[in-house]
Amino acid sequence: MKTYGTKLKKLTSAIYPIAFGVLIFIMWQTQLLHKLLNTDVYILPLPSRIAEIISDNSSKIMENVISTVEVAIPGLILGSVLGYLIAIIAALFKTYGSGGLTVISAFNAVPIVALAPVITNWTKDVSPEASVRSFAAKVIVVTIMCTASMSVNAYRGLTELKPFSEDLMKSYACGKGKTLLKLRLPNSVPYIFTALRVSVPSSVISTLVAEYFAEYITGVGRQIRENILTAQYATAWAYIVVACLIGIIMYILLILAESIFLKNRRQVLSIK
Amino acid sequence: MKKTKKAIAAILALTMVMAGLTACNSSDKKESSSSASSASGSSSANMTNEERIVAAAKEGKVGNWGLGNEYEIQALLTKYGQSTDYLSQSFDMDGFDDDSITLASAMTYNELGLVVNDYEGGYGYGDKVGTIDMNDEGVAMLEDNIFCTKEFAEKNPNTVKAFISASLKGWQYACEHTDEAAQIVFEAGSSVSSDHQAYMAAEVAKVVTTDTKGGAVSDYGNMDEEAMQQTLDLAKQYIKLDDSSAADKLSSMTLDDVRDTSYWEAAKNGDFGTPEKTDVSIQLKWLPQCQFMGYYVAAAKGYYDEVGLNVNIVPGGGDIGETTAVNNGTVDFGVTWVSNLISADAGGMDLLEIAQVYQRSAIVLVYKK
Amino acid sequence: MYRLKRIVTSKLFVTLIWILGLIIIWEVCASVVESTKRTPENILPHLSGIVDSIFSDRKVNGSQTAFQMVLDNAGATLSRAGIGFLIGTLCGFVLALLMNLSGIAEKIAFPYLMLIQMIPILGMAPIINAITGDIAKSRIIIAAILTFYPVATNTLAGFKSVEREKHELMYSYAANKLQIYIKTLIPSCIPYFFTGLKISAPMAITASILVDTLQGGIGLGCLLSQSLKGAMTRYVFWQIVFFSAFIGIMSFCLMGIIEKALTPYKNNRKTRKRV
Repeated sequence: MKTYGTKLKKLTSAIYPIAFGVLIFIMWQTQLLHKLLNTDVYILPLPSRIAEIISDNSSKIMENVISTVEVAIPGLILGSVLGYLIAIIAALFKTYGSGGLTVISAFNAVPIVALAPVITNWTKDVSPEASVRSFAAKVIVVTIMCTASMSVNAYRGLTELKPFSEDLMKSYACGKGKTLLKLRLPNSVPYIFTALRVSVPSSVISTLVAEYFAEYITGVGRQIRENILTAQYATAWAYIVVACLIGIIMYILLILAESIFLKNRRQVLSIK
Repeated sequence: MKKTKKAIAAILALTMVMAGLTACNSSDKKESSSSASSASGSSSANMTNEERIVAAAKEGKVGNWGLGNEYEIQALLTKYGQSTDYLSQSFDMDGFDDDSITLASAMTYNELGLVVNDYEGGYGYGDKVGTIDMNDEGVAMLEDNIFCTKEFAEKNPNTVKAFISASLKGWQYACEHTDEAAQIVFEAGSSVSSDHQAYMAAEVAKVVTTDTKGGAVSDYGNMDEEAMQQTLDLAKQYIKLDDSSAADKLSSMTLDDVRDTSYWEAAKNGDFGTPEKTDVSIQLKWLPQCQFMGYYVAAAKGYYDEVGLNVNIVPGGGDIGETTAVNNGTVDFGVTWVSNLISADAGGMDLLEIAQVYQRSAIVLVYKK
Repeated sequence: MYRLKRIVTSKLFVTLIWILGLIIIWEVCASVVESTKRTPENILPHLSGIVDSIFSDRKVNGSQTAFQMVLDNAGATLSRAGIGFLIGTLCGFVLALLMNLSGIAEKIAFPYLMLIQMIPILGMAPIINAITGDIAKSRIIIAAILTFYPVATNTLAGFKSVEREKHELMYSYAANKLQIYIKTLIPSCIPYFFTGLKISAPMAITASILVDTLQGGIGLGCLLSQSLKGAMTRYVFWQIVFFSAFIGIMSFCLMGIIEKALTPYKNNRKTRKRV
């Protein structure tokens, strides 16, 4: 009976958003949405036209998607690893570490439109080949954008321990290293996913913006900009849709990973 | 249940690794090709234009800003049998300065001045650089024009005529008094240095009063049939549209779809009545600078007041293009390049060129001698 | 000795050390850049150059110095960011409330909240501009869209965090729904709400700068892109980089201050926890 109930619950939680999506889709295709928003099919092309463009240019779009994903994923991984390492160091040397974190999170207050061209200038000497230096520049931008959220969240995970757990470890005569390994690292796992929930979408978005300023012309972001500036809105929308899809797929992968990693943990938590 | 979970985990891990590997692979590939290409870089003072273009193209060091500014460069590359790929050039000339771009795009009135001159922001190369002119190479496309939507022109013919008339009067005065025009633009809030403004005004005057073949033009705003046709032909060849219906529209486009000379002719003869709409605005293609001195002069000298217009000049330079701004009605008139207007109309906008201010291409490729 | 230690480990001192360290790294890099590049100000200028440019009284355009221009444009950007932030916060809070009131609303809205985050804002901007027909309004709306997501999700998490016992207690007091909301739900979601605000306040500012670059006019982003495009000295760009980072941090701190002012009781609890 219980499984039936949860299944039903799961089903409805899928049905409602899908129904809403279908409703929007129908309104969009029948141009009801255009009347509501007071716009035209030129600025907001019909889904059928967008789909047509995507299928017409699938190989070109795929090329750009690969180039974008190739930047977003290494940037995300590098940024997250770096952020986590920083968090560990900060957790070990608390007084100076937390101050450092404040300084690092200040990087997030620098707008990416300012960061991307600066990084492009900094990576001029990386390689004589433009495609390589642009790749490096874009990965660095994404890395920076992902580092801060990971380090701040992971730091919380490493330090905000359950009451008395630290004392317990001490009473077991555990050293700093062992406490880190046995208590802090496991405690930080859910926080890692909290950080990733923020940085997965932001890695895609920052890749798109970094592509705007890169020397080597490639990627979904660059195509969006080219097409908007040359007033090809239907094509630009096709790339916007593709960009959203990249983000959504990466997010779904993250949720799947999270459900696998945190499954056991949830049970423990729910007892509490 | 557990098995499926494990399978999903395995797949996830695999995709992660694959993504990582492909990223590494591709950068490896890029690196190996880079070592091959850098060997062939040699420069010489007495190369022909063709040799320079071929050499730079082979190295992949031809630069342009892209985003609708690249068609002439692509036409030139094609003329010499090269691929149409180019590097995305930022809006300063650092890439040219540090040799990551050996053949860089420059507007004669703007970037070229920065490369050559040594005032603030300039690189001071003097006569150590040479240029390849699009007009001489036969791939010139016309640039700054005045346009509005067809709907606006039909509804407000007198406003359009009055606007053209006063603007061109401003252009004429500006071209005849470039120093004064530079000062007017500078005071109107331009943030480019006044030295550079003076240089720009003098260069823009040349582009406005000389045609693609080097002949003098006295008819300000004239839409020269031959140059317009060449622009359209090149546009059809080099504007690549992914949207098939837009591409079809582009390939069947004629000059009559993008320009109407009647407003300009009426304006020239002073043949217009009271404007239907008096408060109008014009969206510039770029930042406020002498590239648009005619409008600033017309406003400062009161030419717009004379024809009963109250004109607001809106600077551009952002990602919402001038074509979009005019098309959605936020502004009435706009300044754009003819090629951009052509692609916008192909994409489904309904824009109409009403005067052609620049009579020749102002793009050059600049190289170090 | 003890006093010295207290000073060395005080928060202010630590931050100062960090800033000092960063300055040293910056200056070393700047010196390297200066000796190897022809246009160091485009890559990494000396901090002294940036400070000089702030206090320089040379007129960059007809009438203003570089810093006057930055301040002038900052006013416009910040007011747009502020309005956008307020609208975004309000929408985010109301949405969280609605989502908490109705399971259906939550199920419908939550995936789409996520989706909005995925849409590249620069792609959305021309569409919003076309709908509003006014660039200033569209900038505010975009700032609002970008800020409301953290507020909505964090507030919702706050509502959810209320312990079942509290609910049951209120129920046993025969409290009605409104009373439950006012007495338990809203107070307990306030820390979460402010977490959202702390994330979204700097975001509103960076977002406003980002959307400024879409079209000319007044705004830090416009000035930034003009400076990048060589229309004025590159130091304006560097001033904006530092200025925006500074304001971003200040907005974060401001939210913290407001939170403390509104929830004095929370502080006590925190200290209790620490003991």
